Amino acid sequence: MNPRKAMTIAFFAALLGIGYVSMNAAPVLSGEGYSHHGETRWQTDYADAVETAAAEDEPVVIYFWTTWCTYCEDYNQNHYSDPAVRSELDDFTKVAVNLDSDAEDATRLQQRYNVNYPPQHVIVTPDGEVLTRIPGYAPTEDFLTYLETAEERYQSGETADDGSVTTATAGPTSTPGSAAASTTEAAQ
Amino acid sequence: MNPGTILLALAFLSGVVSTALLTRSYLVDDDRYLSYVPKLTAGTAVLLVAALAHLTYQFVSLDYSNAYVWENTAAYLSVLYRVTGVYAANEGSVLLWASIVAVVALIAGVTRGFPTRRGKLVHALTIGVVTYFSAMLLLQSPFASVRTAFPNAPPGFTPTSGQGLNPLLVDPYMAIHPPVMFVSYALLTMPFAIGAAHFIALFRGDDGLFSTWVGSVTRWLRLGWLFLTAAVALGGLWSYTVLGWGGIWAWDPVETAILIPWLFLTATLHAVTNYRPGGRYRILAPAMTASVFALAVYTTSVVRSGVFRSIHSFADGGIGASFLVLMGVTTVLGVVLPLAYWAMTEESGDDTSGTEGTDESRLARWVTRSNLLHLAVLLFGLLTFVSLWGLSFPVLRSAMTGLEVSVESHYYNLWSLPLVLALLLLLGFYMDYDREGLRRSLAGLAVFGLATLVGAAVAPSETWRLASARPGDALIYQVIGNASALSVLPPVAYAILGTVKRTGGRIAATGSRDAKLKETGITLIHVGAALLVLSLPFMYLFAGQASVMATGVAAGAVDTSQRDVGTSSYDIRVLGYERSEFPNDPEPGTYALTSSQVLTRGQSLNTSVQTVHGTVTAIREGPRATVVQLDDSQVWVGIAGNGTVGVETGQEIVARGQVMWEFVPTADAIVLAGPETVGPADDPPDAAVPTRVIATGVSVAVYDDNGLVVSGVAGQREYPEQGGLQVRDVLIDRGPLVDTYVIAGVSDGTASMSVKRVPFMTLMRLSIVSLLVGMVLVLLFDPRHGVRTNSIAGYGESASSSQSRPEGVTEVSD
Repeated sequence: MNPRKAMTIAFFAALLGIGYVSMNAAPVLSGEGYSHHGETRWQTDYADAVETAAAEDEPVVIYFWTTWCTYCEDYNQNHYSDPAVRSELDDFTKVAVNLDSDAEDATRLQQRYNVNYPPQHVIVTPDGEVLTRIPGYAPTEDFLTYLETAEERYQSGETADDGSVTTATAGPTSTPGSAAASTTEAAQ
Repeated sequence: MNPGTILLALAFLSGVVSTALLTRSYLVDDDRYLSYVPKLTAGTAVLLVAALAHLTYQFVSLDYSNAYVWENTAAYLSVLYRVTGVYAANEGSVLLWASIVAVVALIAGVTRGFPTRRGKLVHALTIGVVTYFSAMLLLQSPFASVRTAFPNAPPGFTPTSGQGLNPLLVDPYMAIHPPVMFVSYALLTMPFAIGAAHFIALFRGDDGLFSTWVGSVTRWLRLGWLFLTAAVALGGLWSYTVLGWGGIWAWDPVETAILIPWLFLTATLHAVTNYRPGGRYRILAPAMTASVFALAVYTTSVVRSGVFRSIHSFADGGIGASFLVLMGVTTVLGVVLPLAYWAMTEESGDDTSGTEGTDESRLARWVTRSNLLHLAVLLFGLLTFVSLWGLSFPVLRSAMTGLEVSVESHYYNLWSLPLVLALLLLLGFYMDYDREGLRRSLAGLAVFGLATLVGAAVAPSETWRLASARPGDALIYQVIGNASALSVLPPVAYAILGTVKRTGGRIAATGSRDAKLKETGITLIHVGAALLVLSLPFMYLFAGQASVMATGVAAGAVDTSQRDVGTSSYDIRVLGYERSEFPNDPEPGTYALTSSQVLTRGQSLNTSVQTVHGTVTAIREGPRATVVQLDDSQVWVGIAGNGTVGVETGQEIVARGQVMWEFVPTADAIVLAGPETVGPADDPPDAAVPTRVIATGVSVAVYDDNGLVVSGVAGQREYPEQGGLQVRDVLIDRGPLVDTYVIAGVSDGTASMSVKRVPFMTLMRLSIVSLLVGMVLVLLFDPRHGVRTNSIAGYGESASSSQSRPEGVTEVSD
């Protein structure tokens, strides 16, 4: 057999192999209205989630993320796989919004809560009033404090003043990772 | 119609006419009317450049009547960042791209002319691309009136302040990265046109034009590679300083999108080297040449159109959809055409390796330089595929099954690494084989190949493993992820040794200065690539990070004692707190409306909160409020409170509040302000002046065991008017072995500081310089296809000589 032809055939075999294996080995993020982050499962439909939250009388935590955000990966590893965080999150209805999504629902939430870089968490009442927000990355301890603050506020019926930008007045200091490459394509 | 749109329309017209004339003259082989073409080409280029200049002027002069300007700049930005606002979003960057392609087409046309029939086709294709871009710009114009954003505004309305430039782009790297990238994409248009014209000619029964144009193609490709490499590197360095990732690469879609053409271009350069007219690679080399540009357009479409994020929304329209059409056209010309030709022609592939290596054993028939080069092309092809597939398959899978899957850096890293190592081993072998003969070089390959496998198995500590295995991972990822980074060393050493030995020998053997310089360039490129591969995994695996918090950080005294930074060997000392806001005392006109502007906009302002400025012409004090007339007009400012406001007649004031239209019978508009929001224009109240940037930071000194490492300010800049987006101001000490990288988040009196150690950055920077310098040498001094060679020797291939000479390259005339 002609060497170059043989190599070329091997090339296509490798190509198809890589393509097939990688496509099937990719971790499933979402399907059937859910997406997975770390060991937690988040709803993707906001309207459904609000119904759940209202029925259970619990606040909603909205997680804005993207596939390429390195701090989201940190959240997956440090927070959503941490038993303490997971049990705290059980008191919330969880909704994950992919910032790269063009779905109407996602765009509306982004605009409503003025979110333009990942990762961000906005904790709201079932009516959509902001309880607190966690811009960027917050270490596990701080993250828990934020959740507790939100829970307390929800119980006492108060909300953050307006919910425009970085409120979270009672929350501890976070270190927001400005991993905001969301707009790099602008310069591409 | 504004001047910008007129310029674009004229550019489009002259582009259409000149494409049509060239196509006609190619089809019927008749040179009538052809004399108009150079003028029209020049016209298109001049018009597009003029449109770009006009837009730049609008940016610098802050002409907010243009919606695009209004969206992407603001008065507080320096001139440099007003200029870079031009390519901060889609429309402007397409205009930049179009202008550069037009100039490249003009230079190509002027220097070479189009003496042959196929030359006309090549030119028709390049001008065709320019024309298409102009059409795109007309559909979604960077010159649209700001009234598209404010449909209800009265004629002549312009906003007082712009939205501002995306904070991430306020960076020197971003000033230079996009133009460099568009230059490279524009340069790739020429090889595309030549490759596509070649296949069109083949289909029309011609024998194609690639063999006569191969020198020119080589130069365009090399020049394109030079710029593309620089663009990728600049983009990586930007993300290093701006995004605070502590690394240069994160495989986000935009980064991957620019890497794909780079990988494929590298493959194409090797393929063109392997090309022999009428012999091997007579289809593959031109096909790859034609498809690089198609790939660049594809990846641009992926990141720009939005279509690939959700396959259903074609509604986006405008530039997104136009990119898709362009993608279709370039794919047909650059990929489908060559494939069709390949499928239609009889593949008489057996003669290919017949010219060399058939002598002794079967093995020798397999191991020939051209076969090895073929393998290199294939491996680069696979690398390209890995990145391309990572960008595409989530979309495919989600379209087919509705499941959203994630592509992590895992996927890219773990598939690419074995391929890259294989490429390096191949490089070492190729170089060694060329010098040492089959038997010895095979022994060398066996030794280094084995060393690679052993290296993969030996991990001195967990840190050396490529990826931390997670239980849910597929087997293949667990296997590769468990390999040790030690496996990188043997291939790198083999590649460098082989390259240096072979080129060293060649340099010694030749007497020609140009040949020596070219070989030096080849060495620099390949050694640079090997060092780059060395630096990347270690940069990530051996990066370290530790954090410390400091409280009581505020203006005034701070605790300046030295603190340990977590578990690291670093100490940090907080020296002070800094906070500043921009802009400082801007002109009232840049953020406040005049009374006449209020009256012009009239009813539309009713109940909105606005800032106004003007001269006080009358004051009336009432029991619960004071009202003040501005500029003797129908605009009054109402100030709640009883005579407590220190406003005098004749004074220039600024006030912010809700505008009530026809609220009281005596005035058209009244601005309901409070004592806090009214003040003299030369010392306006804080509440009335917009703060665009709040920079907070701590000045710190970082020490390690040997003393001071770096001192300076680290913190963040917040953009309250742009959704509160925050950008890091990092402090970086660029050391020879290790970069020290300080990130600080400062708020509410607390500074949380992280010190990162990023090793091998200097090696990476050096390897990039080596790649670039090497390519410059090869581009200029290659005895066969070099720019310099061609400009002094009247080379066989007629006019191809000087056409790819980049500006600024000094021609040696002797």
